[in-house]
Amino acid sequence: MIRKLASAFAAACLLAAPVLAAEPPAEIKIGTLYASSGRYASISMPVHSALKLWVDQKNADGGVYVKAFDKKIPIKLVAYDDQSNTATASTLYNQLITQDKVDLLVADSGSVLTAPAVAIARDHKMFLFDQTGTGASFFSKDNPYIALMADPVSTIWPKPVADFLTQDGPALGIKKIAILYSTNEFTGTQANAVRKFIKDSGAPVEIVYDQGVPTETTNYTVIINNIRAKQPDAVIHLGYAPNDIAFLRNVNEVGVKFKWLFCIYPGLETELLEKNVGVKGLQHVFTYVPPSELDYPVNFGMKMPEFRALWNKSFPDGKVEFGFNAVAGYTTALVIEKTLSVATSLDQMELRRAVFSLSGQLKTLDGTFALDDMGGQIGELTPLGQLELDDHGHLKFVAVYPHDVATGKPVYPRP
Amino acid sequence: MLVYALVAGLLFGLYFSLVGIGLNLVFGVMRIVNLAHGDFLMLGAFIAVGVSALAALDPLFAVPLAFVVFVLVGLVLYRLLVPRLQGSVNPEMLSIILFFGLSQVIEALTTIAFGTSERSIPSSELGAILAPLRVRLFGDADGPVELFGQTFPATWAISAMVSVIAIGLVYVYLYRTRLGTLTRAVMSRRDEAFATGINVDRVSAAAFGIGLGLAAVAGVFAPFMFGSVTPAFGEDATVTSFAVVVLGSLGNPLGTALGGVVYGISYMLVQTYLSSWADLLPYVLLILILLLRPSGLLGRRVRVA
Repeated sequence: MIRKLASAFAAACLLAAPVLAAEPPAEIKIGTLYASSGRYASISMPVHSALKLWVDQKNADGGVYVKAFDKKIPIKLVAYDDQSNTATASTLYNQLITQDKVDLLVADSGSVLTAPAVAIARDHKMFLFDQTGTGASFFSKDNPYIALMADPVSTIWPKPVADFLTQDGPALGIKKIAILYSTNEFTGTQANAVRKFIKDSGAPVEIVYDQGVPTETTNYTVIINNIRAKQPDAVIHLGYAPNDIAFLRNVNEVGVKFKWLFCIYPGLETELLEKNVGVKGLQHVFTYVPPSELDYPVNFGMKMPEFRALWNKSFPDGKVEFGFNAVAGYTTALVIEKTLSVATSLDQMELRRAVFSLSGQLKTLDGTFALDDMGGQIGELTPLGQLELDDHGHLKFVAVYPHDVATGKPVYPRP
Repeated sequence: MLVYALVAGLLFGLYFSLVGIGLNLVFGVMRIVNLAHGDFLMLGAFIAVGVSALAALDPLFAVPLAFVVFVLVGLVLYRLLVPRLQGSVNPEMLSIILFFGLSQVIEALTTIAFGTSERSIPSSELGAILAPLRVRLFGDADGPVELFGQTFPATWAISAMVSVIAIGLVYVYLYRTRLGTLTRAVMSRRDEAFATGINVDRVSAAAFGIGLGLAAVAGVFAPFMFGSVTPAFGEDATVTSFAVVVLGSLGNPLGTALGGVVYGISYMLVQTYLSSWADLLPYVLLILILLLRPSGLLGRRVRVA
């Protein structure tokens, strides 16, 4: 009898051990990088600022609820500046994991600065909260340590663009398409996807120009002349914000009027592009319609107007623009918050399970959070839209594709 | 496409002559490698943005303003930094470290002051005061300009014209003024110039100030030539400036004019026919010129003179 009681007591101790051993930490350490300077600063700082905004908001409220310890715990954001340098980023990601021993690892913004984190996180068996790194190569069946938080994975992101050109394009008279892209993981993948969608569609459209240029390109005048020589009916330019600024300015300066022109960032960072290209330079340009224009139903976190108001209050100097990347940073924060509220421990695979359990359930101001089985984001899609001027001369988005979300007809050819 | 690339390359290259000429003047006189050159260019761009946004003036007005401000900045910086450098055992090597640090400080301070976002100026604002002339020459006040039957951004033509004028003024300074003659003497043999009683310090200070002033003037046109600028813009500008300077001839400011044109035309040809490789060009040119003609395209002629 005594032996049985002793065994039962020992078994009870063993079962209770994880709970008793797991003392609540004084803080949850979230490690991340940002680029305060360099080529990717303008897409990194809004994402990072939004994450910081959320941390301040939660800490002012006593922290985030962590189910593993059934209590609110303050957050400590451990953030280093990689200065847009991938080598520096590699060192700092390692430092976050091995020296700072962060509980959660969050990548910097954009595919270029996320790329070093993917391999490092995997090697250290650390789950990576990939904010906006949409490169297709990041997601594979043999890497369970990653999920994309806030942008659609690049292999599906440009589908509305390709579908519009192949399904609605021929009726409009679009037969010849030019593709110009920056040679990096983000836009290179989008170019591959567009090319594949167009070729697989079997539509009577032909790609007459298909060239990559270095991401550092700041001057497109000669390239625009080369594209013009091919007389395309539609031009797709896939680049980062500085590329779009230089490209669109050059298009206007040379006096070329492409009949149909798509760029990524007029939709994602509209304020930034408007400042640098001007309203007239953006008129009739096709782009992705951002979540701020779509008013998604929200079941967690702030709605767009609340977030926008808090952003303006927190960053009144306007040095960091409000746009798609700010929304992406806040979306990442919401996924982290929700993950901590459902994960039963801070074990990395448990965090993964918790993140994937949110797929299809979590609805934020960025749309429905949905993951494929490799961690690629397949919700939060952005329709194809066109920028037009309203009665007051301000830019407005007209969603044109898919048809079920369309708010107007496309203007083609560009007047 | 070939004609377009050649003309675009010429316009682009003339601008790059202006980008590099200040760097070469400073190196030629003081044997100082100014790794912050691109950052002064960036600051010139921010002056232009300020003149346009705050004063609502044609950015061309920023040209004399940027030049005067940065000549004065150069004179002050010279007094603070250069005499100590010149007194060291290896001023060339130390200057690399010192000006690299200065470059980082300038970028950080500019980021704190203005943020990280891209900034630019509407293209139509550059040369607005020249509108009557543009209408007479090209029949349009704010459209592109037509050269050899092809259209180019008017901002390129204006930038190239200002660059030619600036290079011409540098020539006048070097070959038609007493201070310029003394400058060339210092460039030729610093120790001999000192021995003959030339006030090397005064000549060097003037060259340093003018070098920075020219960088800032080039910066005024950067938002038009590169689409936009950020505080991080300086690093790339410095690398390209070095390629242009070494191509022309290190230590010979006027060789930079040729270096700029060769660079510009090469860049546009590569962009036309091998666009993915265009950004390798500065490094490829640097390697080629150092292997084949280390003194630069105009090196020997000027060094002998």
